Amino acid sequence: MKRILKFVVWLAVGLLGGGALGAIAFHRGEPLNAMWFVVAALCCYLVAFRLYSAFVAARVLALDDTRATPAERHDDGRDFVPTNKWVLFGHHFAAIAGPGPLVGPTLAAQFGYLPGTLWLIVGAAFGGCVQDFVILFCSIRRDGKSLGQMAREEVSKRGGIIAQLAVLAIMVILLAVIALVVVNALKSSPWATFTLATTIPIALLLGVYLRFVRPGRVLEASIMGVALVIFVVVAGQWVADSPYWSNVFTLSGLSLTAAIIIYGFSASALPVWLLLAPRDYLSAFIKAGAIFSLAAGILLVRPQVLMPPLTRFIDGTGPVFAGKIFPFCFITIACGAVSGFHSLISSGTTPKMILREGHARFIGYGAMLLESFVGVMAMVAACAMTPGVYFAINSPPSIVGATADAGAATIRSWGYPLQPETMTNLAHAVGEITLWNRAGGAPSLAVGMAQIFSNTIGGPRLLSIWYHFAIMFEALFILTVLDAGTRVGRFMVQELGGRIWAPFGRRGWMPGILLSSAMIVAMWGYFLYQGVIDPLGGINSLWPLFGIGNQLLAAVALVVATTILLKMKKLRWIWVTLVPTVWLVIVTMTASYQKIFDPSPRLGFLASAKDLARQITEGKIAAAKIADTQRLIFNLRLDAAVTAIFALMVLVLVIEAIFQWYSILSHRREAVLHESPYIATRWAPNFSGAGHGTAVGDAIGDD
Amino acid sequence: MRIAAKRTKRFLRRFWRGLREWCGDAAYESYLRSTAHQIGSCRTLSQTEFYVDQLNRRYSRPNRCC
Repeated sequence: MKRILKFVVWLAVGLLGGGALGAIAFHRGEPLNAMWFVVAALCCYLVAFRLYSAFVAARVLALDDTRATPAERHDDGRDFVPTNKWVLFGHHFAAIAGPGPLVGPTLAAQFGYLPGTLWLIVGAAFGGCVQDFVILFCSIRRDGKSLGQMAREEVSKRGGIIAQLAVLAIMVILLAVIALVVVNALKSSPWATFTLATTIPIALLLGVYLRFVRPGRVLEASIMGVALVIFVVVAGQWVADSPYWSNVFTLSGLSLTAAIIIYGFSASALPVWLLLAPRDYLSAFIKAGAIFSLAAGILLVRPQVLMPPLTRFIDGTGPVFAGKIFPFCFITIACGAVSGFHSLISSGTTPKMILREGHARFIGYGAMLLESFVGVMAMVAACAMTPGVYFAINSPPSIVGATADAGAATIRSWGYPLQPETMTNLAHAVGEITLWNRAGGAPSLAVGMAQIFSNTIGGPRLLSIWYHFAIMFEALFILTVLDAGTRVGRFMVQELGGRIWAPFGRRGWMPGILLSSAMIVAMWGYFLYQGVIDPLGGINSLWPLFGIGNQLLAAVALVVATTILLKMKKLRWIWVTLVPTVWLVIVTMTASYQKIFDPSPRLGFLASAKDLARQITEGKIAAAKIADTQRLIFNLRLDAAVTAIFALMVLVLVIEAIFQWYSILSHRREAVLHESPYIATRWAPNFSGAGHGTAVGDAIGDD
Repeated sequence: MRIAAKRTKRFLRRFWRGLREWCGDAAYESYLRSTAHQIGSCRTLSQTEFYVDQLNRRYSRPNRCC
């Protein structure tokens, strides 16, 4: 009876999800309510978790709760710490949830709400979640080894080096593109710039408090920090209203670029307790609060989705970024559905803290489902504004026109009604000078979030406060990724440099610290600078480059996972990782090819460089601008080279892996797994982590 | 009524513990418990030493994603 009831409930959930997805897919005409998106996503996630992840856990990976995890075997209270599964889920989610699932879907909304939403749900269930889950499992079975180490041991030595180089190269592009999102969000916005700038002294204050006054009391310090941050968000309005201070905090793109580069260098070179860690604490609390508030706001307000399911820009002529729906919808969504970077977290801290193998399903698969849901909410927030406003915010002036009248006329010619005064009134309502041409996704997402929040609390009077709260939230946790990423990049540079000259590799050697910090900052800083001076807004070239890099890293992770499954003699279920691998390789190789060789100057880097060179030769460029144009040509060729290097690295790894697979399948090589030996757990089945050594029943509930 | 109050109290206690573990407040306590079980291990770190050591470890590998 109980089984039948369970079956009926799951059937109902499945039918509800299918019905809601059908409504999203086939609805035409009137605007659609956002609740359809929420219901479709939640039901699909529940079914995917209940059925597909259980299948992967039981049949493919054969998770074994009797096996001691690295946290049990090496428990040292530092790296290896047995942790309750809910707490670890929170840790893992806080680590994987970055700006990508917010910005990517916002940009992909230029194709309409349908393609992005479908890919967020389907891509996560069959690609991203599987990648995170399987890599987490593989790392648990190998004492928490990193992706690079696993690639070296299970695929080949060359594979390991390629994976490590790919991580460094992709990190440089990632840091540049997220810094560009911040620059575009803060440009000519004294309120937002003041708010973000003051989070630095707040973080320094918390750092000193946590180091000298109350060591390690993160919770109380974070509560104080969050209160101060909320205060400065409100105080930003006074700054914006003051002619003197408004002038001080109104910065151009290039000034902001310099400021962010100096910040990145400082965060990397200063002691971690002083600036980086306290900012991270602030960011974690504000991130969790803002994401839950957005979910609650969408449920309470139930906004209408005004963007059509498909726009005319699926043909590749979109103003936000160039490229057709295939492959660029998938490349742009990136982290919300599949993120290669997650494999670094899944093979980093999490496997060293997991209590039981069985928890890997909830943490690896479940956290990615939640990240995908964040992406769906970002899509709803972006699509809840009128399409004309969306395109006005996200399009560069070189496409829509430099003036409000020209911009509105261009957007109307695309079939999306927009009056210039609509944008003027909206900018005034959110406390900004202008909202035209604010490419990057952050401002349009902030407008969408502010509209949802202000409809929940405060009404139009609080729209400006909510907008700047949303901008602060996005910028704060983007900068957290930026400073943490710069520091990790610094260690990678030191590690590589240490192979050439040993002292350089010493982590405590100050000249090495300064030089390696300068090197990593110079690398991403250059790409950031190139994005800021790009007449198409930078996002057009850098976001696809980041998406390609990220998806290629996911392909690397899935290739490693497929090799391991093959060695585990799971040939029958190899499609679980092989199908997403093949899909990602096809998508990323197509996108790489198009970004390099497409004949359209808007899409192809080389065609664009050629077009600019032709304009110089024909005398169409003013003499004063020739030097700038030549720099643009160099940058476009550099972007083409970087894309080619990404693609080449992955092709080499795929070919290596295919040889490995062939050798194993044809019995020319023995399938040697590099798993840690089986050791039975000493913990009782109901043991849940906290307080081992104390009464088991007193521990945090695992139920 | 009493059962409901008891359950609420238990839930809040668990939530509080979980929150302290999640944000890192309870990390030193966890470390002390762990070192108590290790025989002949190195000197136990003070709370300040442990805090700085833990941060240096955490931020030397990818721990924030895009």
